[in-house]
Amino acid sequence: MPKHSHLYNYHKEHGKITEFSGFDMPLWYTSIIDEHMAVRNSAGLFDVSHMGRVSIIGKGASDFLSHLLPTNSSKIRDGRAFYSVMCNENGGIIDDVITNKSSESDYSMVINAGNREKDIAWLKRVAQDYEVSVEDYSDSSALIALQGPLACELLQDIADSKLSELKRFSFIQSLVDGERCQISRTGYTGEDGFEITLYDTPLNQPERALKVWTKILALGSGKGVLPCGLGARDSLRLEAGMCLYGQDIDEKTTPIEASLESIVNLDERKFIGRPVIEEQIKNGAARKRIAFSMRDAGIPRHGFDILFSGKVAGVVTSGTFSPVMKKGIGMAYVPSPISSLGQILTVKIRESERNSEVVPVPFYDTTKYGYKRAKT
Amino acid sequence: MSEVYEVPDGYYYTKDHEWIIAKGSYYLVGITDYAAKMLNDIVYVNLPEQGAVLSSGQVFGQVESVKTVSDVYMPVTGKILKINSMLTQTPELVTNASYTDGWMLEIESNSFSEESTRLLNAKAYSDYISNLKSHE
Repeated sequence: MPKHSHLYNYHKEHGKITEFSGFDMPLWYTSIIDEHMAVRNSAGLFDVSHMGRVSIIGKGASDFLSHLLPTNSSKIRDGRAFYSVMCNENGGIIDDVITNKSSESDYSMVINAGNREKDIAWLKRVAQDYEVSVEDYSDSSALIALQGPLACELLQDIADSKLSELKRFSFIQSLVDGERCQISRTGYTGEDGFEITLYDTPLNQPERALKVWTKILALGSGKGVLPCGLGARDSLRLEAGMCLYGQDIDEKTTPIEASLESIVNLDERKFIGRPVIEEQIKNGAARKRIAFSMRDAGIPRHGFDILFSGKVAGVVTSGTFSPVMKKGIGMAYVPSPISSLGQILTVKIRESERNSEVVPVPFYDTTKYGYKRAKT
Repeated sequence: MSEVYEVPDGYYYTKDHEWIIAKGSYYLVGITDYAAKMLNDIVYVNLPEQGAVLSSGQVFGQVESVKTVSDVYMPVTGKILKINSMLTQTPELVTNASYTDGWMLEIESNSFSEESTRLLNAKAYSDYISNLKSHE
């Protein structure tokens, strides 16, 4: 039986439902491309309540995370969120997560919907050796994301804190439409935006979530703001160069292979997976995740072969049609020697061989799109 | 989400959601409004070479949307006279004008009458897709 989030009735009435990570979720409401461009040009609203939310509280919270994550959480200031991964003993990625640090003894973590059980079991197991309490509060809270250049002015209308002062990757506690929330200036689209956690919102009393959801859509109607499904969520994160767990990263991939070196702080901490990660930093990883843009027509898809010198050399892990670039884009793993920017790679799209080029991410022009875009 | 699908009279339909209509000396082939809506956001249409001879039920091309690729099948045996080259620049025609400007193939066929027993008329196709919907 697929699970339902707080907003399922809205999705069922307005969207095309698909199953994702055990949840019935909207794939689109109108059109993937329209929803995608709404986020790039005005704003889009996503229900991401299916993701897990975990609190990590106690005197030993920092020591615990210090061992758990390749990122040094002590270096992070209070009130800041950071992206990291949890690795197993072989350096393989268990999940990619966003951790919010309220203080050295108070953190919360957002985990992928498909990994909820696995992650909670892992967190609790590792936590046994530390003075810390790990609690899953997913089912008593909702999470919605408002993303796009208009997100700040829209949310400001119903938030009782000064959002213009909230820096990217920072979070605060705030009332939103009178409801007790956490507002985090984070997202999965590359645009400016906010992820809003509604506390005290159990699954069997979802009214609060629906109220805030409909309020935001009402404020945004006439300004091009749309509710967005998982289809647009995927094309947006791919255009922004962000990984999707289960496609681009998994337990057989290390953060170094995944080109996520920036989240590894190789300091004196003995974090889980360190030996393999350290070796790969020192000697290089045999394969690397790259981003590529099609030069010929065709859309690359997960599992398609990458050919080099006529032989299979790598594999596509994510692919889609980019509404901004108006061509196929994707991510793939290829041997290190052919992973440099500008490298031409052949993608086998069904029976045809099509050319592509290794490019930097985000795929789009960051002066025109994304949170760093030139202000008009 | 409830949806009404366009199923015009005068067209014949396949269970794979292609349509075919007689135009005197030739037939036009395309995909139905139901198929276009299921696919959503069609971005590429791959069509066969002019002159190709394909059998009923054989794959003649692919329709690619943001999320998926779908094969499209010949409703009857025939020879490709023309393909709709507008679809290269404007694949949205398949969604917005599925039965008119979104046509895919112009074919000639000698076997329409024998093979039309596997085709559905508008009423039969409407019933067919209602049943599909109710099992979703």
